[in-house]
Amino acid sequence: MVEIEALRALKFKKENTPIDKTDPRSRALISLTLAFLSLYSQSLLKQSLLLATAACIAIVARRGARFVSILRATAPLALLIFVLNYITAPQPGWVGPALMALRFLTLSTSLSLFFMTTSPDEVSLMLESAHLPREYAMLITMSFRFVPTLALDVESVMHALQSRGFELEKGSLTQRVRNYVYLMVPLIIFEVRRSLMAAEALEARGFGSSRKPTSYIRLRFTALDGVAIALVTIYLLSFILLVPD
Amino acid sequence: MLVDISDLSYRYPGASDWTLRGINLSAREGEFILLAGPSGCGKSTLARVLNGLIPNFYGGEIHGSINVCGLDPREHPTYEFAECVGFVFQNPENQLFFNTVERELAFGLENLGLPRDEIVRRVEKSLREYQLLELRDRSPFELSGGQQQRVAIASVMVMNPRILVLDEPTANLDPLTALHVLALVRRKVSEEGVLAIVIEHRLEVALPFATRVIVMQDGKIVEDGSPYSTLKRYGHIVGFTPALKLLELLEEGGVEISPNGVSPEKIALAIVELFRGRGYGGGRGSSH
Amino acid sequence: MEGDGEVAIKVEDVYYTYPGGVEALRGVSLEVRKGEILAIMGENGAGKTTLIKHFNGILKPTRGRVLVEGMDTRTTSVAQISRVVGLVFQNPDHQLFTESVYDEVAFALRNFKFPEEVVEQRVKWALNLLNLWEYRDRSPFSLSVGERKRLTIASVLAYDPEIIVLDEPTAGQDYLQKEKISELLHQLRLMGKTIVMVTHDVEFVTEHVDRVVLMARGRVIAEGPPKAILGKQTVLREARLLPPQMVRIYAVLKKHGIMDGSEVLWRPDELSLQLLSKLKQGG
Repeated sequence: MVEIEALRALKFKKENTPIDKTDPRSRALISLTLAFLSLYSQSLLKQSLLLATAACIAIVARRGARFVSILRATAPLALLIFVLNYITAPQPGWVGPALMALRFLTLSTSLSLFFMTTSPDEVSLMLESAHLPREYAMLITMSFRFVPTLALDVESVMHALQSRGFELEKGSLTQRVRNYVYLMVPLIIFEVRRSLMAAEALEARGFGSSRKPTSYIRLRFTALDGVAIALVTIYLLSFILLVPD
Repeated sequence: MLVDISDLSYRYPGASDWTLRGINLSAREGEFILLAGPSGCGKSTLARVLNGLIPNFYGGEIHGSINVCGLDPREHPTYEFAECVGFVFQNPENQLFFNTVERELAFGLENLGLPRDEIVRRVEKSLREYQLLELRDRSPFELSGGQQQRVAIASVMVMNPRILVLDEPTANLDPLTALHVLALVRRKVSEEGVLAIVIEHRLEVALPFATRVIVMQDGKIVEDGSPYSTLKRYGHIVGFTPALKLLELLEEGGVEISPNGVSPEKIALAIVELFRGRGYGGGRGSSH
Repeated sequence: MEGDGEVAIKVEDVYYTYPGGVEALRGVSLEVRKGEILAIMGENGAGKTTLIKHFNGILKPTRGRVLVEGMDTRTTSVAQISRVVGLVFQNPDHQLFTESVYDEVAFALRNFKFPEEVVEQRVKWALNLLNLWEYRDRSPFSLSVGERKRLTIASVLAYDPEIIVLDEPTAGQDYLQKEKISELLHQLRLMGKTIVMVTHDVEFVTEHVDRVVLMARGRVIAEGPPKAILGKQTVLREARLLPPQMVRIYAVLKKHGIMDGSEVLWRPDELSLQLLSKLKQGG
């Protein structure tokens, strides 16, 4: 299933690359800069350039394979965007719709660069350093942290149903949609139970205390971040000033 | 007295039945208490009163006199108990939240608002003590079940609780790993005087470590005492290990043995002693 | 009553690698004989659950093949194989989803297109066997943990598969619940079913099982009757299992010369009789 593949691709795993060693805020800057440029650019050339840049960064971060699987997961949606825009366009031509589709791909990949190289813990630390209260930052951490667990649970529920003769992929479209509903019920109940257990465990370790929590891990900018920020700035300026439309 | 509870009764919100009825329990440091009883007897509920989750997290109606570490859960929120009572849950997956073992250990201390150098000090100490130094940067989810439970225990023990409550901690572990985990808890009890209260169905695994066994049934404590005597009376409900069964049969045959533990090895050694005393046995050492 | 020699499931040099890259099974070969009760034991991560998922085709081997009553799992649908192999998973909450206990048990029967009168008959039979008939109109989620476990067993038994595979049937169960499961196994054996069970519980296995397969790190490391396998300390340690208590007691008694026979006495009553008679003769 392509969706489960996409979930796996988003799962964070630490590597030992220069990108991983930067402060997560620098990485956020990289992704956001690419995303901003993508939204700002109106030519196919520029979008392609940005997509290629994202691919290069992914390779430097040794996550080329992940990058490809994200592309594969988002390709159908990009195609859909192309087709819909083509059909509903006020003027004929394929360049406009292609631009939309390509922009979608660039946005997805450049933002996913951040998530591929940043652990949920780092995301939460980043938000806390921006003065978001811990409860909200943890919300984000928890959601990410349970995604791989959720993927496994979906599989378990599917297997349990299949073992009783249930065929998910059989029948008309409406039948198949109904089949997935059968999947949802035990899954949702299971996940609700799981969240209650997690909430219990959090509370048992003092979470929700009225005292202001300390931070064990501190985010710090290093020389590497200086380099990264400088590179991003140069890229941004060159892109806007030098690349033709 | 770390735990001093009398006439505790509790029922969950909206329930018509009382889950706990008139519980009386006192416990002090240095005890390893095995809490046993059939499913639904109230063990897990009682455990959650000890760290304040009941009634703070669960609500419901609670009566009686409750004193755990000097706190009454009706008047103190759960986080105030966290400093004194550590709780380890059955499923490691649902009690590990972070991407590095290190951060996981630090979490509880962060919540207590301890100064950073103190946290660093305690985390280093715990990493060493629980043999987690090489695993410090690893994600807890990549670890084996036994390692995960070790991390869970470490992240609770790093807060220096005086009471450790474990709710079926070895349910998902293989027997040998279960033994290691419980041995770890037993060391804490013997060396640091921690009071451990362990809920377990697998008596063969947990019994050898217990200094005291409490049996619950239908919300009441029906037996509270030494492992052997408690099980002799309630073995038909909570199960009887084969080794204890042997002991009981020998007693019925008129032979009294006093082992200094209930593990198979200790019982076997006591049998050896008896035989030697009666002039039996070759091997090492002669009889009288 | 041992297996009568016919093979129900044949696993031929099976390798399995998960999509994430983890190699869970590394050349496993074994046979499940008709009518026998087989236990698969070993540490967590040894590949036990992965192996049983091959028994009804949910997982297909990356190398090698699995034959279930002659059907190759790579070319037969899971639904078809499930008709013959009933797989009961460890966690009941992964599969309960209908509005009533009755519907839950009827689910598989309806999937297999049994006529409704037959469905009614079989549901009633299965629920009675597991002492759940009185709960037939209640929601599955209102049952206790032990009852939910029995419900998952009932929903598999209802459609009468030849082979029943149980993943950790005694995990998390209290003593009385385990006794009920023992009784159930006896009944299933009398019905001529073939039973495979994944378990850690050595005491349970000593009492109820015909053959044991020990696994470690994706391979089978030992195989044979419980009394042959569970006395071997070295393989047991490799599979991260504790020997049964009687074996441990016997080891100490033998070491100190109290017992000298090569036969371990597996039951407390047998051993106590031996010890008592020795005491009468001796001192």
